[in-house]
Amino acid sequence: MNQMATLRPADTMLSRTEIAGLVALAARTVPPLWPLESAIAVNPLAGLEDLPFAAAVRVGANRFGAATSLPLGQWRALLHAGRIDETRLRDAAVQQLGGLYRACAVMAPGVCALDLLMARLLHLPAVDPHPVPATLAPDVAFLAKWCGAFFDQGLAAMVMPRRELGLYRAVLALAGHDADFRALAGTTGATLLLTVPRDPLAAIAEALHDLGVPADQSLDHLSLLVARMPGWAGHIRWRSEQADPDVAAAAPATMADLLALWALIERAGALAPLPAAPPSGDVTASLAAHCGLDRARLAPAQHERLAAIAMLDAGDLGKVFMAAAEGTWCHSHIPRMRASIDLPAAACPPAAQLVFCIDVRSEPFRRARENVGPYETFGYAGFFGLPIALHCAGDDRRKRLLPVLLAPQHDVVEAPVPGREHQADTIARARARDRQTAGLFAAAKQGTATAFATAEATGLLAGLVMVTRTLMPRLGARIAALTDPCRHAALAPAPQFSLADKVGFALSLFRLTGMPAATARLVVLAGHGGSAVNNPYAAALDCGACGGHAGGANARILTAILNDRTVRQGLLAHDLALPETTVFLAAEHNTTTDLVTLFDTDAVPATHRADLARLTADLDRAGALNRQRRAVQLCRSPEDLLTGAVHWGEVRPEWGLAGNAAFIVGPRTLTQGIDLDGRAFLHSYDWRGDPGGTALATILTAPMVVAQWINCQYLFSTIDNRRYGSGDKTTQNVIGGIGVVQGNGGDLAVGLPRQSLFTDDGNPYHVPQRLTTVVLAPFAQVAAVVEAHDILRRLFGNGWVHLLVIDPETGKARRWASDGAPDDEGRSPVSH
Amino acid sequence: MTTPVYTPPPLDPGLHRLRKVEIVVHAEDIVPVEDVLRAAGVGGWTMIRDVAGVGHSGFHQGKSIFNDHSGLIMFVGVGEAAVIADVARGLARLFEARPGVTFLSDVEVLRSDYFARVPGDLG
Repeated sequence: MNQMATLRPADTMLSRTEIAGLVALAARTVPPLWPLESAIAVNPLAGLEDLPFAAAVRVGANRFGAATSLPLGQWRALLHAGRIDETRLRDAAVQQLGGLYRACAVMAPGVCALDLLMARLLHLPAVDPHPVPATLAPDVAFLAKWCGAFFDQGLAAMVMPRRELGLYRAVLALAGHDADFRALAGTTGATLLLTVPRDPLAAIAEALHDLGVPADQSLDHLSLLVARMPGWAGHIRWRSEQADPDVAAAAPATMADLLALWALIERAGALAPLPAAPPSGDVTASLAAHCGLDRARLAPAQHERLAAIAMLDAGDLGKVFMAAAEGTWCHSHIPRMRASIDLPAAACPPAAQLVFCIDVRSEPFRRARENVGPYETFGYAGFFGLPIALHCAGDDRRKRLLPVLLAPQHDVVEAPVPGREHQADTIARARARDRQTAGLFAAAKQGTATAFATAEATGLLAGLVMVTRTLMPRLGARIAALTDPCRHAALAPAPQFSLADKVGFALSLFRLTGMPAATARLVVLAGHGGSAVNNPYAAALDCGACGGHAGGANARILTAILNDRTVRQGLLAHDLALPETTVFLAAEHNTTTDLVTLFDTDAVPATHRADLARLTADLDRAGALNRQRRAVQLCRSPEDLLTGAVHWGEVRPEWGLAGNAAFIVGPRTLTQGIDLDGRAFLHSYDWRGDPGGTALATILTAPMVVAQWINCQYLFSTIDNRRYGSGDKTTQNVIGGIGVVQGNGGDLAVGLPRQSLFTDDGNPYHVPQRLTTVVLAPFAQVAAVVEAHDILRRLFGNGWVHLLVIDPETGKARRWASDGAPDDEGRSPVSH
Repeated sequence: MTTPVYTPPPLDPGLHRLRKVEIVVHAEDIVPVEDVLRAAGVGGWTMIRDVAGVGHSGFHQGKSIFNDHSGLIMFVGVGEAAVIADVARGLARLFEARPGVTFLSDVEVLRSDYFARVPGDLG
């Protein structure tokens, strides 16, 4: 196949189809960017996962004009705060130097190479961080402005005309009237507007030919153009690949549209130069002086060593700190996990079992729950294995309540709970009415003829609401709760699954988590969601496994399935006999308030009422304990957390998944009694019930992949919050109902806001480190699973995720070695 | 000496001679392949999900149950010779960066209007 391209004379234009292939590849430069209503964490460098991690960070920095590391001063702050162990930093420095022998190379009496590197890490002045451009580049400003108008989801006062033509053609039709375009592209641009092909693929082909881009450099050329606006490009990828067709029907847009516009600007000679990386200063003299070295007396080999250490840039030094952070986590926890494999299981049967999402926020809540009574907890992906989309009563669009790795296989509608039909009807009507009223109010507020009249008419009421929201937010929330009927009491998801589907969903819970068939009298399936008001990132606090939505609906559906007598009969055929006395119950854990909502409690039989009462009381106690723990982390009172959940001025209602560091696959006994500080995803798993490794393969190729996306989003948003995150919340504006921009324009922000990652004093709360996956299973079993899946070989082999396997028989821990060996990032910090 | 010329056998009444392209790629590469097919004007294609097999890097497992983007997928498309040749040119660009295999072959179909070229459009 590759030879076919060489048959073409070098100076001819690429065909449309060839351009289509190149554009599709160039689109991979950025990951899809989900809209705010279903914010999904993604790795901003997902397109570079074929490269080793360190190389990808450098390529990404060049493409996106981003930093390669957290500034050195902030790494040092983490070290001084005890978040990174200095011994582990020394270990990582030794590895960076190529091992102990080279690290101990003598530079002068009492000074070795390691001392030089430690001096750079700890004492010498930091290399300047990447410069922030003072103003938006005019080419980005122009395209971003039209993207904002084109992709608007009903927030703009005036709809952009000709959107049905597609992004490229619609902008071509209007740019001639745009003074910004004339200023940007001049007369050349004006001429091109009239002459370029109207087909975006043909336009790109013509531009590449006109610009003299060789065919073998076309992909890199297009990739760099995509990287100029990763936010809008990511939005286009989401629309093209992930959104339901109706989202884009009225305003179609592809990556070819965006690239054709970039090509037009480039042909007009209006492409802004990319900011150059700052030159790293020569610290040889200061390093030598700091360590008391007389450079004149150094031997050639010593000179070479000094120069090599002096030449390390911010990225190299950051890599050492990151390895130290990862080593710190491993040394704190892996030995305790290894020791725990011989611990006996709990002597008495649990009063209830609770299945939580694997989310890191579940871990401290589970620990609190286990501390208040004889409860057993499990971790399972929070969509509970249900590939569904939910049509909520009164909503126009369906919600995809599943990981973005999956397409919905079942559409589920909400239906009234029997006996609550009237209440359900009222809720659906109220929802539709509220939406219409909000639309009418927005139109009146923005209309040139109606704006002042609207302010006059509604000003007093709006003022009262504002005062209540500001001074008495919890009172306001209580009033709203009193006037709104309880939605979940009146409406319930009503799926139409076949019996085989239901049995399959039920089986997955047991097969993947290793949950024994001898279940307790009460088994709670708990989804989770967050609470935030006036917060564009509210969905980022919800369940990632449920597509950025709260997971209560999924919990209710699987609960109903597991309580279904016919399903219990069906499970018998799979050697799974659940006790007659077991009742499943659905719940939703609010991670902002630590309050737990129990669903459908009316259906709990009288025989289990006492169990339910005890469970409810203990949930309240566990919630209070966890709230207290989180309040300390947020430097606030527990009561204030409840206020923050309903306050419209709250910029940090919770820490979300900040701090995430590990993904642990094994039974709860592996981690029970260990304070993981809300930094670990916990997926229950029992290798003894999975001889073929099927369950492990599912866990590693799906929940772990989602965890890796989350980990990378937090990591990169922290090391360069301007390019990979979204900057300060207080200067953000929501645009088009789909994303945020800094100030009044520019590219869509692709990551997390500063307040989600940094404390108010500017130091990172989140430690940027790669995910460490820990699996309790025989080495051979894990190796077979990894070798059989490309995605796992890539993530572990390229060092995007560390894999540590603990053998259940011997307790030995082994680390999966990165490909391409010299292993400059360190060997196992634990044992072999 | 003259080179023997292959003469295809006569077609049965109602059959039409076209070209077929079969493409096996990683499931995460579905979108680029679809874009190429669409740009070439292929009006429709068959997708066989969860393909397993042995390749340069060993055995390729089928997809895992919670990840549609894992495993391999096979596309089967049929069209006029010029259209399929155009597909192959686009795929050649794709395979410079991504793994995958393509098979081109002659095929006979009923109802040739099902495989008529449609205006390629990505914009």
